[in-house]
Amino acid sequence: MSKIVEISPTTRHEGHSKLVLKVDDAGIIERGDWLSITPVRGVEKLALGKTMDQVPKIASRVCGICPIAHTLAGIESMEGSIRCEIPKDAKLLRIILQSANRLHSHALHNILTLPDMYLPGTDTKINPFSPQEPVRSVAKRIQRIREIGQTIGEIAGGEAVHPSNPRVGGMYKACTAHAKTKMYDLAKEGLVLAHEQMDFMIAILRNYQKRDWAEVGGKQIPIPKTLGYHNQGYMAAHPMYGSSNLDDCPGWNPDRWTDVRPWDWYMGEGEVSLADPGYPIGGTSPVGTKVNPQMEACTGVPLYDGSPVEVGPRARLVQFKNYDEKGTIGQQIARQMEYPDCLYTILNALDDYNPNGKILADHIPQGDGSLGWAANEAPRGCDVHLAKVKDGRVLYYEMLVPTTWNFPTCSRALTGAPWQLAEVIVRGYDPCVSCATHMIVIDEDKRLVAQKLIQ
Amino acid sequence: MPLMRHSNEVREMAGELGKYKLCVSARSADKAILKRAQDGGIVTQLFKFALEEGIIEGAIVAGPGDEPWRPRPFIATTVEELMSASGTKYNISPQVSWIKEATRSYGLDKIGIVGTPCQMQAVRKGQLYPVGLRDVPDKIKLAIGIFCMENFSYQSVKQLVEDHAAMKMEAVKKMEIGKGKFWVYGQRGQVVQLPLKVTHKYEQPGCHVCLDYVANLADVSTGSVGSPDGWSTVFVRTRNGDDIWSKAIAAGCFETKPIEQVKPGLELVTKLATEKITKNQKTVEERAKFGVNKSLRNPYLGPK
Repeated sequence: MSKIVEISPTTRHEGHSKLVLKVDDAGIIERGDWLSITPVRGVEKLALGKTMDQVPKIASRVCGICPIAHTLAGIESMEGSIRCEIPKDAKLLRIILQSANRLHSHALHNILTLPDMYLPGTDTKINPFSPQEPVRSVAKRIQRIREIGQTIGEIAGGEAVHPSNPRVGGMYKACTAHAKTKMYDLAKEGLVLAHEQMDFMIAILRNYQKRDWAEVGGKQIPIPKTLGYHNQGYMAAHPMYGSSNLDDCPGWNPDRWTDVRPWDWYMGEGEVSLADPGYPIGGTSPVGTKVNPQMEACTGVPLYDGSPVEVGPRARLVQFKNYDEKGTIGQQIARQMEYPDCLYTILNALDDYNPNGKILADHIPQGDGSLGWAANEAPRGCDVHLAKVKDGRVLYYEMLVPTTWNFPTCSRALTGAPWQLAEVIVRGYDPCVSCATHMIVIDEDKRLVAQKLIQ
Repeated sequence: MPLMRHSNEVREMAGELGKYKLCVSARSADKAILKRAQDGGIVTQLFKFALEEGIIEGAIVAGPGDEPWRPRPFIATTVEELMSASGTKYNISPQVSWIKEATRSYGLDKIGIVGTPCQMQAVRKGQLYPVGLRDVPDKIKLAIGIFCMENFSYQSVKQLVEDHAAMKMEAVKKMEIGKGKFWVYGQRGQVVQLPLKVTHKYEQPGCHVCLDYVANLADVSTGSVGSPDGWSTVFVRTRNGDDIWSKAIAAGCFETKPIEQVKPGLELVTKLATEKITKNQKTVEERAKFGVNKSLRNPYLGPK
């Protein structure tokens, strides 16, 4: 008979979420629900009536890890609505900013992943904060990669967190020739480190894949060969940057997107019937705890072509580079494979960038209320912002954040794994839960069905 | 820094001239700098040396703006750019507004900045509490302060020059405050002197709460007062300032004279500093009683 386990809160990712898992007698997950319990931010409501310049800056405040993606997606959705093309050099600065963001975010995720992994040839889990080698030099390398990413972001974007430089119509400030040289030097240094880090991480992840068991809460848990497998589709708009409705061949289609309310998707009321006090960090929820994922989930469930999809590094590699490895480890390896791409993109953009070039459009229309959207490939996946701007004011704003897409997909990927490894699967998605909590639900007829929740 | 509870304590602790390691009368050894300089060319020469030695990669200076004699802060990264900013412009140049941008789109890791005493206070406060100045504090490598009694808005200077001195702004070659007068030199050779009394009503009211005349918080502070014409009085205040100053001296950048051997010497600097502090102290105290049960706080006292 099925039992219910609840892991709340889940750890080592951004935001607050929990896992409600229906497991069989052997502890294998039959159905898993991973849901956000971060309160809804309501940025979409806050945006209404504000100017098109304000809204992307407000939107970027949903998160401190990928505010760059939110700023760029927000600004480009406004530009999509007002039909404003930006100069080439402004676009190049945005591409540099985007790649720098992905670089530092992937490096940060390594710190969150490593404690699940083992030092090859040993049964010792990796503590990234250990002063001992070889871990210490890896930690230092991660910090340096992050520093490089943040500094490049700071130069191109004005700030590494919540960038101030991008604006509707282009950028505020052009980088000088000196700044260009500095970014180039940093990127060259980063490239060497990124290759080393990619090789290291792939070796560590492959080692985990070869193992038969992983230790969780003092028990040896068998690792299934199909850890994290799912049969959902993938969605990515661009290998590195993004796409918007201004593109000739847009990489995303708003007509293919619908939402489902959480109470039509998640499990109903239940009671925890299996608990493990030895599970790391305080144990699982005690037997008898009431759970109700339908009502507790703080996100809508976005669907693409009527079904949940995976977004993120693997989705990008599957769409654009014929990558085909499934499962959690396949997903993690895809993330590491993006490291050098971030830096090559920066270096190529810098080669093309002209410090004396124009960075602001000559004419910035004020908008007629038509729909614009931008799908930005954030570190965690496709971050879609949709907007309608009329006379410089925002009439409608919507954020479809990567982890929102990944919640239902990851829930499906939990099936078949021992419940103790559920968090390993969740971490494979590098979840960023805070930004993912949004609650405007649109059904297949494009009607708003759940807006009342945030009114 | 401990909170300063009483106004007298401020003067006792810092003294009218602030803390300093060294005080000399100096001028640049470079004729080209002296030709364009207000007095001894200290700021231009010291930044030039720091730029050439790689101590700084750029300096935030007050360059020519959109209108004649209206300064516009900009980041000078070459000696030519530095030279274009030499000379005093008697109105506001928001230097600190560029300090973050220097580390961002300019990509500088080592910045120099010149400013009035209040701007030096802002720089140091920003270094201590870098709110909105992420990754900036450690990049400020040389802060040069200039002596300041008070400052004017651009409109005020325009009124002084065009109405009182009857000269067009673009026809002015140099402006100077010295010997108790406001001097305006025209390009055609005319010289107009206005008594300082005339200028008082044009001063910025905000300057009247400032208790710092000689840029106490700068690495090096300088001004004409205390030294003969064509020379400047220089206070070397911090370890960093001392280090750069002694390297510049060793490189032969400056001619110096002991401050004790020049006229009018430190006595005049002390007198003017005391005057400023005493006068502004009164405004500070008046402000404490200002309004209906809503006194403006004395900025030099800690909150109660």
